[in-house]
Amino acid sequence: MKADKKDKRKIAFPMIAHYNDAVRYFIEQGLGQTYVMQPAMTRRTMALGEKLSPDMVCTPFKTILGSMIEALEAGAEVLIMTMGYCRLGYYGELAESILREQGYDFDYVNFAEYTTGRPKDYLKAVKAICPHVRPAKAMGALRAALDMVKYIDEVECQYYMNCGFETEPGSFKAALKRFYRDMRTAKTRRDIEAGYENCLQTFERLPIDKGPNALKVGLIGEYFTVMDAFSNLDLEQALADMGVEVHRWMNVSHRNLDYPGEKNLHVRIKEYCRYEMGPTSTANIWKAKKYAEDGFDGIIHAKSAGCTPEIEIMPVIRNISEDYKIPVLFLTYDTQTATAGLMTRLEAFYDMIAMRKKVIQ
Amino acid sequence: MRQEAYLGVDVGSISTKGVVIDGDNHILASAYIWTEGDPIGAVKRLIAQLDGQFDHDRFQIRATGTTGSARKLVGAVLGATVVKNEITAHAVGTTTFHPDVRTILEIGGQDSKIILLENGIAIDYAMNTLCAAGTGAFLSSQSRRLGIPVEDMGEVALKSAHPTHIAARCTVFAESDLVHKIQVGHTKEDIVAGLCQAVVGNYLNNVGKGKRIREPIVFQGGVSKNIGVVKAFEKALGEPVIVDENGHLMGAIGAAILARSGEARADFDFDIEDIDFVTREVICGRCPNRCEIICVYRDGRLIDSWGNRCENGEITVRQAQENSA
Repeated sequence: MKADKKDKRKIAFPMIAHYNDAVRYFIEQGLGQTYVMQPAMTRRTMALGEKLSPDMVCTPFKTILGSMIEALEAGAEVLIMTMGYCRLGYYGELAESILREQGYDFDYVNFAEYTTGRPKDYLKAVKAICPHVRPAKAMGALRAALDMVKYIDEVECQYYMNCGFETEPGSFKAALKRFYRDMRTAKTRRDIEAGYENCLQTFERLPIDKGPNALKVGLIGEYFTVMDAFSNLDLEQALADMGVEVHRWMNVSHRNLDYPGEKNLHVRIKEYCRYEMGPTSTANIWKAKKYAEDGFDGIIHAKSAGCTPEIEIMPVIRNISEDYKIPVLFLTYDTQTATAGLMTRLEAFYDMIAMRKKVIQ
Repeated sequence: MRQEAYLGVDVGSISTKGVVIDGDNHILASAYIWTEGDPIGAVKRLIAQLDGQFDHDRFQIRATGTTGSARKLVGAVLGATVVKNEITAHAVGTTTFHPDVRTILEIGGQDSKIILLENGIAIDYAMNTLCAAGTGAFLSSQSRRLGIPVEDMGEVALKSAHPTHIAARCTVFAESDLVHKIQVGHTKEDIVAGLCQAVVGNYLNNVGKGKRIREPIVFQGGVSKNIGVVKAFEKALGEPVIVDENGHLMGAIGAAILARSGEARADFDFDIEDIDFVTREVICGRCPNRCEIICVYRDGRLIDSWGNRCENGEITVRQAQENSA
C-alpha cells in the first residue's frame, strides 16, 4: 500500500555546497519521504550557528548548525547528520545536544553512530530514517543519487576551468544555473542524466577565448571550506573572474566515492611526510605536489580557522612551494563575511603569478 | 604641448599619501597627511597640497592610480584609471628604485606584509591576518600611553642600552606586559626600545614565518620612519636594512607607475575640491544575507556602488539614472 502523504516524514540534511539535491533525490525517490530544503546559506545562517556554537570550534560546525536550525524552521522533523574523520565525527552529537537544549523537537539520525565499516550498519541507519524501506528501490535511487554527486562535481570542474574565459558574459553561469535547476527537479535517473548531458553539451558549445598560456591555479584545503562557495566567499568564482583556470580536486566524488586510498596516495608523497595527518591531509599534499609537477602557476590553500589537520600540512605545502618554485597563498576563513581583505590578497596573488608567467616565457 | 604626468594616491587606515611623477619616475609633487577616519576628506586635502606644488604650465596629469585599503572609494572619487591592491603597488614601486631587492618588509597602520622577490618579480608574499600587533596602530596607541609623540619614538629608543623585554605575541598581552614593566620601574627609553623589538619580533613570527629573508632588504611603510624599529630589524636579521627616503610614498609611487603603464587615460585637473562626495550604506533586503552596499554620490549623482554578493543586490549607475528619470 502506498504511504499516505501525511504519513511521510519531513527529512533534512545540513547544507553543503550543491550536494543537497542528491540527498533529496535519495530521500524522495528512494525512501518515498519528503525532503525539506532549507534556504541557501546567508549571513543569517552563520549568525544563528555562531551564537550557539563554542567559540573555538571550526567554522563549518557553525554553518552546519545554522543550516540545521533553518531546516527545522522550514518544517523538518528528522535531521540527518554525516560522519567524519576529524572533529566532524563528533559534531553530530554536539549539534544534537545544542539543538535539544534550545528546545527544538526532532528525530535525529547521526551517521557517526552507524559507521562501523560493515555495510549492514549503513542499512540500519537508513532504516532509522525510514523503517519500511524497500531495499531494491532504495539501492536504485542511491546509485542515481551518487551519480548525481559525480555529475555535479564534473560540471563544476568544467565550469570553473572555463567560465573565466567566456566571450558572452554570463553564458556559463546561465548553463550552470540551469543544471542546478535540473538536478533540483529531477524525479528519475533519466532526468538526472539528461540535465547533465545537456549542461556538458552547452559548455562545449559556448565560445571561450583561452589562449595557450592561461593562468592555472590549483585549489586545495579543508574539505568543507574549499568546496562550499558560501564559506570561502566564492573564492573559485572570484579567481575565475580574473581570468584564471581554476582546478579543485577536492570534492565528494574524488575524496569519498573514488578515493584512491590513503596508502596509495601516501607512497606518492613519501619524500614529504611519513605519517597520516588527517582526513584530507594526504590528498592535499599529494595534489599540491601534482599541481606543482603539472606546471600550475599557483596553489591556494583554504581552510577554516581552527582546522588542526590543515594547519599541520602548511609547512609541508611550504616545502613543496620551495622545491618546485610555485607560489602558494594560504587563506583562513572564519565567520567574517567581508570580502575586502580576501580580494586584496587574491588580486595581489593574481598580479604576482601573472607577472611571473610573463617573465618566465 | 605640456608633458605627461601621472598621479598615484595611497589611502591607508592611518595616513594618506600622494605623488605626481613624470615619465622618468621623477617626483613632481608629493604629500603625506593623516587620514583621520575620513578618506574622502583626506584625499581632498591631499589633492589641494599636490595642486600647490604642481607645475600646471609644464605638465598635465594623464592617468591616475589608487591603492591602499580605501582604493576603491578613492578611485571612484578621483576617476582613477587603475585601482590596484597595495601589495602589487608596493612591489612595483620598490623594484623601480631598487631593482635588485630580494625582500620587502612593509609595516603600515593596520596591516603589515612581506614580499619576496627574485629578479624583480614577486615570488611570494604574506600579509598579517587577524591581529594588529606589530603594526603602526599598536605603536601609536602605546605612544599615547607613554606620552611620547609617535614621531619621536625611534630617537628615544636609540638612547636605550638595555631594551626591556615585552611579550609580543598579541597586542593585549603586550599592553598588559608594558603597563607592568612601567610600574616596576623600567625607564621610558628601555620600554620604547623594547616596544620596537616587540614589533619586529611579532612581525617575524607572524608575517615573516617560514619565509626566507634574503638581502637586499628594503623596509617601508609608516613604521620604517622609526629608526628604533629599523635598528631592531637589523639586529634580528643580522643584515643591513635599506630605508628609502621615499619609502613612505612607495605605494603611491607604485600606483602612479601602474597608471602610467596601463592603457587607460583620463585627464585629471585637481578640480575635486568643490565637488560634494557622499557615501551611503544601503542594506539590501532581498535575502537574509543583508549585504551592505556602499553607494558613492558625486554632487548627488550616483557614480559607483559595491558590496553586494549577488546580482539581486546590484545597483548600477544606469539603473539609478533610470529610476530618477
